[in-house]
Amino acid sequence: MTKTKGKIPPVVTLNYSKTDLIIKEGDYGVSIYEVISGKVGIFVESGGAEIRVAILGPGMIVGEMAFISGNTSTRSASARALENCCLEVWHPAMLLDAYKQMPDILRLIAGQALKLIVRMNKMVVGLSLKQEQLQDSQTQKLSDQRDDNRKFYRKMVSLECVFRPVNSPEDLELPGRIRDISKRGLGMTVKTSRLFNYILIPGDELFISTYFVPDQTVNMTAKIIWLKKGETDGAISLGMVLTHMDPDDRKRLGFFLMP
Amino acid sequence: MTVNSQVLGYIVSEERFSDKSVIIKEGSIGDWVYVILKGRVKIKKQTSGGLLTIDILSEGNFVGEMAMLKQSNSTRTASAVADGPVVLGLLDSVRLLQEWEAQPARIKKLISNLIQNLEEATKKAADMIVE
Repeated sequence: MTKTKGKIPPVVTLNYSKTDLIIKEGDYGVSIYEVISGKVGIFVESGGAEIRVAILGPGMIVGEMAFISGNTSTRSASARALENCCLEVWHPAMLLDAYKQMPDILRLIAGQALKLIVRMNKMVVGLSLKQEQLQDSQTQKLSDQRDDNRKFYRKMVSLECVFRPVNSPEDLELPGRIRDISKRGLGMTVKTSRLFNYILIPGDELFISTYFVPDQTVNMTAKIIWLKKGETDGAISLGMVLTHMDPDDRKRLGFFLMP
Repeated sequence: MTVNSQVLGYIVSEERFSDKSVIIKEGSIGDWVYVILKGRVKIKKQTSGGLLTIDILSEGNFVGEMAMLKQSNSTRTASAVADGPVVLGLLDSVRLLQEWEAQPARIKKLISNLIQNLEEATKKAADMIVE
Protein backbone atom coordinates (compact mmCIF):
# COMPACT_ATOMS: atom_id res chain seq x y z
CA MET A 1 0.00 0.00 0.00
CA THR A 2 1.20 3.46 -0.77
CA LYS A 3 2.55 5.53 2.10
CA THR A 4 0.57 8.68 2.57
CA LYS A 5 2.93 10.28 5.09
CA GLY A 6 5.61 12.54 3.75
CA LYS A 7 5.69 14.06 0.34
CA ILE A 8 2.86 13.50 -2.03
CA PRO A 9 4.13 13.48 -5.59
CA PRO A 10 2.84 16.39 -7.68
CA VAL A 11 0.44 16.02 -10.55
CA VAL A 12 2.32 15.18 -13.72
CA THR A 13 1.17 15.64 -17.30
CA LEU A 14 2.21 13.03 -19.85
CA ASN A 15 1.85 12.89 -23.60
CA TYR A 16 1.21 9.66 -25.47
CA SER A 17 1.30 9.00 -29.19
CA LYS A 18 -1.36 7.08 -31.04
CA THR A 19 -1.23 3.31 -30.23
CA ASP A 20 0.97 3.82 -27.13
CA LEU A 21 0.17 1.52 -24.25
CA ILE A 22 -0.73 3.51 -21.12
CA ILE A 23 -1.73 0.68 -18.80
CA LYS A 24 -1.08 -3.01 -19.33
CA GLU A 25 -3.56 -5.61 -18.18
CA GLY A 26 -2.09 -7.84 -15.48
CA ASP A 27 0.48 -5.32 -14.30
CA TYR A 28 0.53 -3.89 -10.84
CA GLY A 29 -0.08 -0.17 -11.10
CA VAL A 30 -1.31 2.53 -8.80
CA SER A 31 -1.51 5.68 -10.86
CA ILE A 32 -4.80 7.22 -11.90
CA TYR A 33 -5.02 9.21 -15.11
CA GLU A 34 -7.36 11.92 -16.22
CA VAL A 35 -7.73 12.35 -19.97
CA ILE A 36 -6.98 15.99 -20.83
CA SER A 37 -7.11 15.62 -24.60
CA GLY A 38 -7.38 12.76 -27.07
CA LYS A 39 -9.07 9.39 -26.85
CA VAL A 40 -8.08 6.31 -24.86
CA GLY A 41 -9.32 2.80 -25.57
CA ILE A 42 -9.82 0.22 -22.82
CA PHE A 43 -9.07 -3.34 -23.90
CA VAL A 44 -9.49 -6.70 -22.24
CA GLU A 45 -7.44 -9.64 -23.45
CA SER A 46 -9.12 -12.94 -24.11
CA GLY A 47 -7.82 -15.95 -25.97
CA GLY A 48 -5.02 -13.98 -27.61
CA ALA A 49 -7.39 -11.28 -28.81
CA GLU A 50 -7.76 -7.77 -27.46
CA ILE A 51 -11.39 -6.75 -27.17
CA ARG A 52 -12.20 -3.10 -26.78
CA VAL A 53 -14.63 -2.50 -23.93
CA ALA A 54 -14.67 1.29 -23.75
CA ILE A 55 -13.46 4.54 -25.26
CA LEU A 56 -12.66 7.38 -22.89
CA GLY A 57 -12.41 11.05 -23.83
CA PRO A 58 -11.40 14.31 -22.14
CA GLY A 59 -12.48 14.63 -18.51
CA MET A 60 -12.68 10.89 -18.00
CA ILE A 61 -10.60 8.81 -15.64
CA VAL A 62 -8.39 5.86 -16.55
CA GLY A 63 -7.08 3.39 -14.01
CA GLU A 64 -9.50 4.10 -11.18
CA MET A 65 -10.55 0.48 -10.85
CA ALA A 66 -7.28 -0.67 -9.30
CA PHE A 67 -7.48 2.21 -6.83
CA ILE A 68 -11.04 1.44 -5.74
CA SER A 69 -10.26 -2.25 -5.38
CA GLY A 70 -7.54 -1.22 -2.91
CA ASN A 71 -4.54 -1.56 -5.21
CA THR A 72 -4.34 -5.20 -4.23
CA SER A 73 -5.31 -6.59 -7.60
CA THR A 74 -3.61 -6.25 -10.94
CA ARG A 75 -4.86 -4.00 -13.70
CA SER A 76 -8.07 -5.54 -15.01
CA ALA A 77 -7.72 -4.05 -18.50
CA SER A 78 -5.22 -2.37 -20.79
CA ALA A 79 -5.45 1.27 -21.82
CA ARG A 80 -4.09 2.38 -25.16
CA ALA A 81 -3.95 5.80 -26.84
CA LEU A 82 -6.32 5.76 -29.83
CA GLU A 83 -4.94 9.10 -30.95
CA ASN A 84 -2.30 11.47 -29.60
CA CYS A 85 -3.26 12.02 -25.99
CA CYS A 86 -2.42 14.22 -23.07
CA LEU A 87 -3.07 12.70 -19.65
CA GLU A 88 -2.76 14.08 -16.15
CA VAL A 89 -1.33 11.50 -13.78
CA TRP A 90 -2.53 11.44 -10.17
CA HIS A 91 -0.51 9.60 -7.61
CA PRO A 92 -2.97 7.61 -5.49
CA ALA A 93 -1.41 9.06 -2.33
CA MET A 94 -3.23 12.27 -3.22
CA LEU A 95 -6.54 10.47 -2.87
CA LEU A 96 -5.92 7.75 -0.35
CA ASP A 97 -6.58 9.79 2.82
CA ALA A 98 -9.72 11.28 1.38
CA TYR A 99 -10.88 7.86 0.26
CA LYS A 100 -10.27 6.39 3.71
CA GLN A 101 -12.24 9.17 5.38
CA MET A 102 -15.16 8.71 3.08
CA PRO A 103 -18.33 7.35 4.74
CA ASP A 104 -18.47 3.53 4.53
CA ILE A 105 -21.66 3.72 2.54
CA LEU A 106 -20.05 5.55 -0.39
CA ARG A 107 -17.14 3.14 -0.43
CA LEU A 108 -19.52 0.20 -0.41
CA ILE A 109 -21.48 1.66 -3.30
CA ALA A 110 -18.27 2.18 -5.28
CA GLY A 111 -17.23 -1.40 -4.51
CA GLN A 112 -20.53 -2.76 -5.77
CA ALA A 113 -20.25 -0.73 -9.00
CA LEU A 114 -16.73 -2.02 -9.49
CA LYS A 115 -17.81 -5.64 -9.20
CA LEU A 116 -20.59 -5.15 -11.71
CA ILE A 117 -18.39 -3.31 -14.20
CA VAL A 118 -15.88 -6.18 -14.18
CA ARG A 119 -18.72 -8.58 -14.88
CA MET A 120 -20.15 -6.42 -17.69
CA ASN A 121 -16.74 -6.17 -19.32
CA LYS A 122 -16.43 -9.96 -19.19
CA MET A 123 -19.82 -10.24 -20.80
CA VAL A 124 -18.81 -7.84 -23.58
CA VAL A 125 -15.64 -9.87 -24.19
CA GLY A 126 -17.57 -13.14 -24.26
CA LEU A 127 -20.12 -11.74 -26.68
CA SER A 128 -17.43 -10.23 -28.91
CA LEU A 129 -15.70 -13.57 -29.29
CA LYS A 130 -18.98 -15.31 -29.98
CA GLN A 131 -19.94 -12.78 -32.64
CA GLU A 132 -16.58 -13.09 -34.31
CA GLN A 133 -16.94 -16.86 -34.55
CA LEU A 134 -20.41 -16.48 -35.93
CA GLN A 135 -19.17 -14.08 -38.57
CA ASP A 136 -16.44 -16.41 -39.70
CA SER A 137 -18.77 -19.33 -40.12
CA GLN A 138 -20.75 -17.11 -42.48
CA THR A 139 -17.90 -15.48 -44.34
CA GLN A 140 -19.62 -15.52 -47.68
CA LYS A 141 -22.91 -14.18 -46.45
CA LEU A 142 -21.40 -11.47 -44.36
CA SER A 143 -18.96 -10.24 -46.93
CA ASP A 144 -21.92 -8.55 -48.63
CA GLN A 145 -22.92 -6.72 -45.48
CA ARG A 146 -19.46 -6.04 -44.26
CA ASP A 147 -20.13 -2.38 -43.62
CA ASP A 148 -22.83 -3.20 -41.14
CA ASN A 149 -21.23 -6.02 -39.29
CA ARG A 150 -17.51 -5.76 -39.51
CA LYS A 151 -16.63 -2.26 -38.53
CA PHE A 152 -14.61 -3.40 -35.61
CA TYR A 153 -13.27 -6.79 -36.52
CA ARG A 154 -12.34 -6.52 -40.13
CA LYS A 155 -9.86 -3.93 -41.23
CA MET A 156 -9.94 -2.73 -44.82
CA VAL A 157 -6.40 -2.64 -46.18
CA SER A 158 -4.38 -2.79 -49.33
CA LEU A 159 -1.36 -4.91 -48.48
CA GLU A 160 0.94 -6.47 -50.99
CA CYS A 161 1.57 -10.11 -50.24
CA VAL A 162 3.07 -13.23 -51.74
CA PHE A 163 1.47 -16.63 -51.47
CA ARG A 164 1.67 -20.21 -52.65
CA PRO A 165 -0.53 -23.26 -52.27
CA VAL A 166 0.71 -25.40 -49.35
CA ASN A 167 1.69 -28.30 -51.61
CA SER A 168 3.64 -26.22 -54.11
CA PRO A 169 7.48 -25.84 -54.28
CA GLU A 170 8.81 -23.71 -51.46
CA ASP A 171 10.44 -21.13 -53.69
CA LEU A 172 7.21 -20.31 -55.47
CA GLU A 173 5.99 -16.75 -54.89
CA LEU A 174 2.69 -15.67 -56.38
CA PRO A 175 1.72 -12.01 -55.92
CA GLY A 176 -1.56 -10.96 -54.37
CA ARG A 177 -3.12 -8.11 -52.49
CA ILE A 178 -4.86 -8.40 -49.13
CA ARG A 179 -8.03 -6.27 -49.13
CA ASP A 180 -9.33 -6.88 -45.66
CA ILE A 181 -8.15 -8.79 -42.65
CA SER A 182 -9.47 -9.82 -39.24
CA LYS A 183 -8.17 -12.09 -36.52
CA ARG A 184 -9.99 -14.96 -38.17
CA GLY A 185 -9.73 -14.45 -41.87
CA LEU A 186 -8.88 -12.27 -44.82
CA GLY A 187 -9.95 -11.25 -48.26
CA MET A 188 -7.42 -11.18 -51.09
CA THR A 189 -7.40 -10.31 -54.78
CA VAL A 190 -5.19 -12.10 -57.29
CA LYS A 191 -4.50 -11.38 -60.97
CA THR A 192 -5.20 -14.57 -62.91
CA SER A 193 -2.46 -13.69 -65.41
CA ARG A 194 0.08 -13.99 -62.61
CA LEU A 195 -1.06 -17.37 -61.35
CA PHE A 196 0.97 -19.30 -63.99
CA ASN A 197 -0.69 -22.66 -64.20
CA TYR A 198 -2.03 -22.73 -60.71
CA ILE A 199 -5.75 -23.09 -60.29
CA LEU A 200 -7.28 -22.11 -57.00
CA ILE A 201 -10.46 -23.70 -55.69
CA PRO A 202 -12.33 -23.42 -52.39
CA GLY A 203 -10.76 -25.70 -49.79
CA ASP A 204 -7.20 -24.99 -50.96
CA GLU A 205 -4.78 -23.88 -48.30
CA LEU A 206 -2.30 -21.11 -48.99
CA PHE A 207 0.88 -19.92 -47.31
CA ILE A 208 0.74 -16.15 -47.26
CA SER A 209 3.52 -13.70 -46.40
CA THR A 210 2.97 -10.00 -45.91
CA TYR A 211 4.06 -7.18 -43.62
CA PHE A 212 2.11 -4.77 -41.43
CA VAL A 213 5.13 -2.61 -40.70
CA PRO A 214 8.19 -2.35 -42.99
CA ASP A 215 10.83 -5.08 -42.66
CA GLN A 216 8.71 -7.31 -40.47
CA THR A 217 7.35 -10.27 -42.37
CA VAL A 218 4.19 -11.89 -41.09
CA ASN A 219 3.32 -15.42 -42.19
CA MET A 220 0.03 -17.21 -42.09
CA THR A 221 -1.80 -20.16 -43.53
CA ALA A 222 -5.37 -19.67 -44.75
CA LYS A 223 -8.01 -21.79 -46.39
CA ILE A 224 -10.05 -20.56 -49.33
CA ILE A 225 -13.75 -20.48 -48.44
CA TRP A 226 -15.09 -18.76 -51.52
CA LEU A 227 -13.86 -17.44 -54.80
CA LYS A 228 -15.35 -15.00 -57.25
CA LYS A 229 -14.43 -13.08 -60.35
CA GLY A 230 -13.41 -9.54 -59.63
CA GLU A 231 -14.89 -6.43 -61.16
CA THR A 232 -11.85 -5.84 -63.31
CA ASP A 233 -10.93 -8.38 -65.93
CA GLY A 234 -8.59 -11.17 -65.05
CA ALA A 235 -8.79 -10.75 -61.30
CA ILE A 236 -10.35 -13.00 -58.68
CA SER A 237 -11.34 -12.33 -55.09
CA LEU A 238 -10.71 -14.92 -52.42
CA GLY A 239 -12.45 -15.19 -49.07
CA MET A 240 -10.25 -17.06 -46.62
CA VAL A 241 -10.20 -18.26 -43.03
CA LEU A 242 -6.90 -18.34 -41.15
CA THR A 243 -5.84 -21.87 -40.30
CA HIS A 244 -2.43 -21.25 -38.79
CA MET A 245 -0.42 -18.35 -37.47
CA ASP A 246 2.52 -18.34 -35.07
CA PRO A 247 1.88 -16.64 -31.73
CA ASP A 248 4.26 -13.77 -32.51
CA ASP A 249 2.60 -13.12 -35.85
CA ARG A 250 -0.80 -13.37 -34.22
CA LYS A 251 0.29 -10.71 -31.76
CA ARG A 252 1.47 -8.48 -34.62
CA LEU A 253 -1.87 -8.94 -36.29
CA GLY A 254 -3.60 -8.06 -33.04
CA PHE A 255 -1.69 -4.81 -32.79
CA PHE A 256 -2.24 -4.11 -36.46
CA LEU A 257 -5.99 -4.55 -36.05
CA MET A 258 -6.13 -2.14 -33.16
CA PRO A 259 -8.63 0.55 -34.10
CA MET B 1 -23.51 -10.64 3.24
CA THR B 2 -24.96 -8.70 6.11
CA VAL B 3 -25.96 -5.08 6.13
CA ASN B 4 -23.16 -2.77 7.26
CA SER B 5 -24.10 -1.15 10.60
CA GLN B 6 -23.25 2.32 9.33
CA VAL B 7 -25.55 1.79 6.37
CA LEU B 8 -28.41 0.86 8.75
CA GLY B 9 -28.16 4.37 10.19
CA TYR B 10 -29.19 5.85 6.85
CA ILE B 11 -32.47 3.95 6.58
CA VAL B 12 -35.52 6.19 6.82
CA SER B 13 -38.19 3.61 6.03
CA GLU B 14 -38.69 -0.02 5.17
CA GLU B 15 -40.55 -1.16 2.09
CA ARG B 16 -41.80 -4.63 1.23
CA PHE B 17 -42.16 -5.99 -2.27
CA SER B 18 -43.76 -9.25 -3.34
CA ASP B 19 -42.17 -11.66 -5.81
CA LYS B 20 -41.71 -10.24 -9.33
CA SER B 21 -42.90 -6.76 -8.44
CA VAL B 22 -41.03 -3.92 -10.10
CA ILE B 23 -39.03 -1.84 -7.63
CA ILE B 24 -37.43 0.48 -10.15
CA LYS B 25 -38.35 0.83 -13.82
CA GLU B 26 -35.66 1.40 -16.45
CA GLY B 27 -35.98 4.82 -18.09
CA SER B 28 -37.95 6.41 -15.26
CA ILE B 29 -36.62 9.37 -13.30
CA GLY B 30 -35.51 9.06 -9.70
CA ASP B 31 -32.39 9.02 -7.60
CA TRP B 32 -33.40 7.41 -4.35
CA VAL B 33 -31.34 4.48 -3.19
CA TYR B 34 -32.31 1.29 -1.35
CA VAL B 35 -30.30 -1.22 0.57
CA ILE B 36 -31.54 -4.82 0.54
CA LEU B 37 -32.44 -5.95 4.06
CA LYS B 38 -33.94 -9.31 3.12
CA GLY B 39 -34.33 -11.27 -0.07
CA ARG B 40 -32.96 -10.92 -3.58
CA VAL B 41 -33.37 -8.39 -6.37
CA LYS B 42 -32.75 -8.97 -10.06
CA ILE B 43 -31.33 -6.12 -12.11
CA LYS B 44 -32.67 -6.31 -15.65
CA LYS B 45 -31.96 -4.36 -18.77
CA GLN B 46 -33.96 -4.08 -21.96
CA THR B 47 -32.17 -5.45 -25.04
CA SER B 48 -33.27 -6.19 -28.59
CA GLY B 49 -33.34 -9.82 -27.54
CA GLY B 50 -35.67 -9.14 -24.60
CA LEU B 51 -35.05 -8.46 -20.93
CA LEU B 52 -31.59 -9.46 -19.76
CA THR B 53 -30.74 -10.09 -16.12
CA ILE B 54 -27.39 -8.41 -15.57
CA ASP B 55 -27.06 -8.88 -11.86
CA ILE B 56 -28.70 -10.58 -8.90
CA LEU B 57 -28.29 -8.61 -5.69
CA SER B 58 -28.76 -9.81 -2.14
CA GLU B 59 -28.70 -8.59 1.46
CA GLY B 60 -26.42 -5.62 1.98
CA ASN B 61 -26.31 -4.65 -1.70
CA PHE B 62 -27.58 -1.32 -2.95
CA VAL B 63 -30.32 -0.79 -5.49
CA GLY B 64 -30.58 2.43 -7.49
CA GLU B 65 -27.19 3.88 -6.60
CA MET B 66 -26.18 4.50 -10.19
CA ALA B 67 -28.74 7.25 -10.82
CA MET B 68 -27.60 9.02 -7.65
CA LEU B 69 -23.89 9.05 -8.39
CA LYS B 70 -23.78 9.72 -12.07
CA GLN B 71 -23.40 13.34 -12.99
CA SER B 72 -25.50 13.53 -16.13
CA ASN B 73 -29.10 12.87 -15.11
CA SER B 74 -31.16 10.67 -12.87
CA THR B 75 -32.72 8.40 -15.46
CA ARG B 76 -32.76 4.81 -14.24
CA THR B 77 -30.36 2.75 -16.32
CA ALA B 78 -31.90 -0.61 -15.48
CA SER B 79 -34.95 -2.13 -13.83
CA ALA B 80 -34.93 -3.75 -10.41
CA VAL B 81 -37.37 -6.61 -9.87
CA ALA B 82 -38.06 -8.56 -6.68
CA ASP B 83 -36.84 -12.17 -6.87
CA GLY B 84 -39.10 -13.60 -4.18
CA PRO B 85 -40.38 -11.47 -1.28
CA VAL B 86 -38.03 -8.58 -0.57
CA VAL B 87 -37.56 -6.09 2.25
CA LEU B 88 -35.72 -2.91 1.29
CA GLY B 89 -34.45 -0.02 3.39
CA LEU B 90 -34.93 3.38 1.78
CA LEU B 91 -31.85 5.48 2.45
CA ASP B 92 -31.84 9.11 3.54
CA SER B 93 -31.07 10.63 0.18
CA VAL B 94 -30.58 14.16 1.50
CA ARG B 95 -27.85 13.04 3.89
CA LEU B 96 -26.33 10.72 1.34
CA LEU B 97 -26.22 13.43 -1.28
CA GLN B 98 -24.77 15.96 1.17
CA GLU B 99 -22.00 13.57 2.11
CA TRP B 100 -21.38 12.79 -1.50
CA GLU B 101 -21.18 16.48 -2.41
CA ALA B 102 -18.75 17.10 0.45
CA GLN B 103 -16.18 14.70 -1.04
CA PRO B 104 -13.06 16.17 -2.66
CA ALA B 105 -13.49 16.92 -6.36
CA ARG B 106 -11.08 14.20 -7.48
CA ILE B 107 -12.80 11.52 -5.42
CA LYS B 108 -16.16 12.53 -6.84
CA LYS B 109 -14.76 12.49 -10.32
CA LEU B 110 -13.26 9.06 -9.76
CA ILE B 111 -16.47 7.48 -8.54
CA SER B 112 -18.85 9.16 -10.96
CA ASN B 113 -16.49 8.10 -13.71
CA LEU B 114 -16.70 4.53 -12.46
CA ILE B 115 -20.50 4.72 -12.52
CA GLN B 116 -20.44 6.19 -16.02
CA ASN B 117 -18.18 3.38 -17.22
CA LEU B 118 -20.50 0.89 -15.62
CA GLU B 119 -23.45 2.43 -17.41
CA GLU B 120 -21.64 2.26 -20.74
CA ALA B 121 -20.37 -1.28 -20.19
CA THR B 122 -23.90 -2.38 -19.32
CA LYS B 123 -25.32 -0.67 -22.37
CA LYS B 124 -22.65 -2.19 -24.59
CA ALA B 125 -23.30 -5.68 -23.25
CA ALA B 126 -27.04 -5.18 -23.72
CA ASP B 127 -26.57 -3.89 -27.27
CA MET B 128 -24.56 -6.94 -28.22
CA ILE B 129 -27.28 -9.35 -27.22
CA VAL B 130 -29.50 -9.95 -30.19
CA GLU B 131 -32.25 -12.58 -30.30
